[in-house]
Amino acid sequence: MSKNFFEIKNVDFIVGGKTKVKNVSLSIENEGDVICLLGPSGIGKTTILRTIAGLEKINNGSIQLKDKILSSKKINVEPEDRNISLSFQENSLFPHFTIEENILLGAEKNKDKKGKRINLKEIIQLLDIKKILKKYPHEISAGEAQRASLARSLMTKPDLLLLDEPLSNVDQSFKEEIQVRLKKILNRLKISTIIVTHDSYEAFYLGNKCAIILDGQIKQYDDPYNVYHFPNSIEVVNFLNRGILIPAKVTGENSLENKDLGTIKGNFVKHYPKGSSVKLLLQPEDLEHDDKSNLKLEVVDRRFRGTNFIYTLKTSNNLLIPVFVHSHHIHQHEVDEKFGIKRPINIDHIVCF
Amino acid sequence: MFKSSNIWFLSSLLVSLGVLIPIITVFFSFFETTSNYYEILKNTFLIEYIFNSFVLLVSVLILTFFIGTFSAYLVSFYKFPFSNFFKWALILSFAVPPYIYAFSLTAFFENYGTAFTILTNLFGDGEYNKDIPKFDGMIGAIMSISFSLYAYVYILSRSSFLYQSQNLIELGKSLGFSKLKSLYKLILPAARPAIIAGLSLVAMETLAEFGAVDFFSINTLTTGIYNSWIAFDDLAFANRISFFLLLFIFALFVLENLSRKNAKYHFNTRGGFKQKTKIKLTGSKSFLAFIFCFFIFFMSFIFPLSQMLYWTIKFPSNIFDLPVLTLTMNTLYLVTLSSLALIIFSLISNYGNRVSKNKLLNMLSTLSISGYAIPGVILAVAFISFIAWFDENVFQYFGSYSIKKIFIGSILGLVIVYFVRFYSLAFNGIKSGYEKINISVDESSYLLGYSKKKTFMNIHVPFLRNSLLFVCILVSLEIIRELPITLILRPFNFETFATTAFISASEDMLEAAAAPSLFLILIAAIFIMITSKYILREKDE
Repeated sequence: MSKNFFEIKNVDFIVGGKTKVKNVSLSIENEGDVICLLGPSGIGKTTILRTIAGLEKINNGSIQLKDKILSSKKINVEPEDRNISLSFQENSLFPHFTIEENILLGAEKNKDKKGKRINLKEIIQLLDIKKILKKYPHEISAGEAQRASLARSLMTKPDLLLLDEPLSNVDQSFKEEIQVRLKKILNRLKISTIIVTHDSYEAFYLGNKCAIILDGQIKQYDDPYNVYHFPNSIEVVNFLNRGILIPAKVTGENSLENKDLGTIKGNFVKHYPKGSSVKLLLQPEDLEHDDKSNLKLEVVDRRFRGTNFIYTLKTSNNLLIPVFVHSHHIHQHEVDEKFGIKRPINIDHIVCF
Repeated sequence: MFKSSNIWFLSSLLVSLGVLIPIITVFFSFFETTSNYYEILKNTFLIEYIFNSFVLLVSVLILTFFIGTFSAYLVSFYKFPFSNFFKWALILSFAVPPYIYAFSLTAFFENYGTAFTILTNLFGDGEYNKDIPKFDGMIGAIMSISFSLYAYVYILSRSSFLYQSQNLIELGKSLGFSKLKSLYKLILPAARPAIIAGLSLVAMETLAEFGAVDFFSINTLTTGIYNSWIAFDDLAFANRISFFLLLFIFALFVLENLSRKNAKYHFNTRGGFKQKTKIKLTGSKSFLAFIFCFFIFFMSFIFPLSQMLYWTIKFPSNIFDLPVLTLTMNTLYLVTLSSLALIIFSLISNYGNRVSKNKLLNMLSTLSISGYAIPGVILAVAFISFIAWFDENVFQYFGSYSIKKIFIGSILGLVIVYFVRFYSLAFNGIKSGYEKINISVDESSYLLGYSKKKTFMNIHVPFLRNSLLFVCILVSLEIIRELPITLILRPFNFETFATTAFISASEDMLEAAAAPSLFLILIAAIFIMITSKYILREKDE
């Protein structure tokens, strides 16, 4: 008996005879937890969801939900007999039913179930789809279709909810608000959910845990803070694209030396012997701007991101380093100008490879 | 115990294999021994058969290309008096099968025919016969087939023109092209796959044409098949000619398929599509456009209709002798049975393909829809061959009664061969409906707890309602007009409007052919008008 609510054990995810993701093991410990699968396009994230839903078969390992094996080499519970709901990325609403009828079909599946009731009005309000209830799927936008599909899935009150890029077509201005509402309703209804997304911010916000899928395998499965701050491989660092790796030499228990930046101090996440050459992860928020500093680097690019600027600085050894600066900072630096970095450089936790 | 997807797979497989039987029979019959007729014919008429088939094919293709694309071009790009009317009126020619057109041509231009009567009424008695041109023989056959079939090219070119982006027209203007240069440099090449698809259909129908060519006594491969079976009772030889004709048609079929694949490339206007605004023609240009379309409409529909109407009124006794109720009931009986069978089995086959995703099944389905490309005469003969073989080698072997009577000269046999012939219409019609349902819709349905059967009944069938209606009417239209299969396989004393008209005409009683032809045209025209919105893709406009 597994103590986990949901568990995947040593499964190869296959589609069309081709293995997409190998030897996957992951679990949802508690009912109501949300996990996010992050990875580049075409890596097999959707295949994982489809397999969990029973739309694809497996040849090894097992998939269990509430202590019941749903998929294994010998067992394959049909999709209609698993209480799992999948909300597809593309429009999968029934074209000849109105949005309301589509959502009510979901409610039909839910009607005999015990436990917390799901209120249709609440879902409609939360996902802001009241205006489109009487319309047909071809009469609404892609973002509206995604929300309607999400509403239908929620109404089925599944044991496990699978969301494939649920908000990819929702307008940016509305996306964050929907994320907040979605998180609220998933928490309230305690629906265990697996979300596939390529938006790391969405994954970090919605997920209790995140799985990073790269090169046909799960590279890291951890809570969002750890995934961001303590990536376990160079591939994860490159995928998250939130920092660079610079060469450095370990000079002591809490220090390293880089030819361009000088001494960098902080707490090592992992022990490295003195004198060893490493690659240090430098994230944009690790460096501080200081106009009075004597460590000056050349500005090669400046991107305005609303709340902050991201400067790309070039060192004398041609390293390109990103640095965040609050956008209210008193003056801006143009390309080719010099940009001061505060010394000594202190990093809260030092991640090296 | 079979899983539900296996049951769908098996049902679908059986339908596809069943439809393939006559096609396979023709293939194997090629290796059978034939009577002396083959030797006689090889040295005498075979070359003539091939030559006539070729001349007929090429001439019809040229004429239908010109009429079909030019009329489609005019109604798609320009506004002129009655252009909206012509848009759908030009497809009414489908209501007139080539053999009825042939009757009309002969009736009008023959010695002392309708033209003679008109001239006499206008100018008094005279020797008009020698001045009235005669459209019989090969020219008559070419005209009859072309005016009846150009609508294939018209419909497909028009739908392709509809999808052509305004950008393309504006590009022509910016390059300084005249309207004519834009037509042959940009518009026609962009619509090439659609035009070729239309011409391929015309080619298949022309090679399969029996009624008109037989009426004009042109010896083609198709009439050769019919004659070798009827006159010489040589089924094996009929199959042998069929094999050659099949090869020819198969080449056309491949060509058509290839051009359809290209169509995707040619019509990709994603992101660049701009609704066309039609150019308003004025003065002589407007008049000429009107005259051209009116001429085509008149020649293809009004002329045969009025000729048949004229004779029906002129010889009223024929209409009183015509068992209208029986013929209507017979026609409706065949139409209902065949449509039902086609709809049910095509639905099953399509759904089987969809849920099983099996490559072999997919290939079999593609092959099985080639029945439409095979002339009705061949299918009928192949069906008889197969039943005869099956009866002798399987049933008789086990000492059972002969099953020939159940299938040959019976409604059941007739419906089976109609089924094979029109299976592609039904299959493709439903398939195009299915293509609009994303596969994730099925998957959502399963995840909502619906079984495969429930998904089929509650989700697919209601959604495909319109496609099913369209397929039903299209199949009905074909069966109403169908001639050779009905002629060969119908039960004794069982007639339809088509066979009554053809038999009267074959017996040189053209007047008697008028009334059934008129009924046939009117019924078919009603069916066309009901479906014109689908055929013309009005929604896309």
